[in-house]
Amino acid sequence: MEWLLDYYNYRIVGQYLDQLAYGFGQTLFAAGLSLILSITIGLVLALMRLSKHGIFWRPVSAYIEFIRATPLLVQIYIIYYGLPSLFPSTARWNELWPGIIALSLHTAAYMAEIIRAGIVSVPKGQIEGAKSVGMTYTQRLRYIILPQAFANVLPPLLGQTAVLVKDTSLLSIITVFEIMSAGLLINSERVKPNESFLTIAACYLVIYVALLGLSHLIKTYLAGPAWNAKR
Amino acid sequence: METILLTLNEYWTLFIRIMPFLFQGFIETFKVSLVAILAGSTLGFAIGILRTERIPVLNPLLALYIHVLRGTPFLVQLYIFYYVMPNLNISWLQWDATTAAFVALSIYTSSYVSEIVSSAIQTVPEGQWNAATALGLTHTQTLRLIILPQAMRLMVPSMSGVYVMIIKSTAILSVVAITELTRQGQSMIQLNARYTLFIWLVVAGFYFIYCYPVLRFARWAEKKLGISKPIELN
Repeated sequence: MEWLLDYYNYRIVGQYLDQLAYGFGQTLFAAGLSLILSITIGLVLALMRLSKHGIFWRPVSAYIEFIRATPLLVQIYIIYYGLPSLFPSTARWNELWPGIIALSLHTAAYMAEIIRAGIVSVPKGQIEGAKSVGMTYTQRLRYIILPQAFANVLPPLLGQTAVLVKDTSLLSIITVFEIMSAGLLINSERVKPNESFLTIAACYLVIYVALLGLSHLIKTYLAGPAWNAKR
Repeated sequence: METILLTLNEYWTLFIRIMPFLFQGFIETFKVSLVAILAGSTLGFAIGILRTERIPVLNPLLALYIHVLRGTPFLVQLYIFYYVMPNLNISWLQWDATTAAFVALSIYTSSYVSEIVSSAIQTVPEGQWNAATALGLTHTQTLRLIILPQAMRLMVPSMSGVYVMIIKSTAILSVVAITELTRQGQSMIQLNARYTLFIWLVVAGFYFIYCYPVLRFARWAEKKLGISKPIELN
């Protein structure tokens, strides 16, 4: 194993296990919380986007276009520097929170587009049927449209989740201590780029492979009617 | 009223002052993204076509290449090209920041392009291959004259989507001191720290002007070419 030490000294990585584990946890926490927030905001945006009234869909459409046409890094900077000037009390916050807000607002625009495609893919007859048995708008949404819509778009939702996990790496730039920062710490203290960055890459790959496996599971277990409706 | 006018005037003067620097950065962003798109697409096309050929041994390797590139953040890849590659004691890998950035972005592009190319080729109906074989066309001829022209049409919208993503990814190059738009914005902020938010909004405006037409083109192409189900990248 001695030859390996020249290229990848795993003993150094061993010394930083605590920081790496903490960073990994922070990455998962940031990604998980942003995922929940972005799907919630995305659902609201998708419903507004599908509204017939201009006051609802126009601003949402503009928002989605703005998010999709500007880099996430610039959006993170805008939230990070803009939040304290709008709400001075947020200046004392940990950097993690503006980071999660920026990530959620960014991903929400993409989630909204995916959820909208899912809602549109539900056959019209389903909605008419629900109306004819006397369901209200909320009931139709809750029992008829959303279950089918989400089942239809689970694969792209998972794909967007994978993108979200990768995007959390940008939080290191506003000094959030996630897995990327743990790697940068090793590199700055020991000047060992191989050990730090290859380890980080492996950590992200672990999450990616887990998500890939999950999407295969979903494809096998969800091959029911809602799934086939899309094809 | 007077104070509002004064503030507006203040912002306008600042805007005029930072504009030349930001524009310089924009030119750099434009150049980097264009080169990466050209180089990455060429490489991606080659890999995408090779993948549909299902060559033993090579195919799993290409699949690994694509998965590794799509499973790690671009920031990590950039650091690997910037710090790890020159550290391997191989003379031709001892490159500077600009080369590292170009190479990293091109390779990142290639992984997305190759996915689009291979799935577009697979979308072309099997019957097209059979008919071409029946007419006596060789494999290469079929690919060049029959399959690729049809596949190209399917690629246009998804390809524009990837190009927008690449343009946006150039912002990340600011961490390795490439003086592109985001980096120039940071330098302007160091000189005018009071207007941080305003400068970031102007920078965002630049990106919007660059990316929005490409996004609109993607949607227009989708309608114009009558592609009901564009190739999804997931």
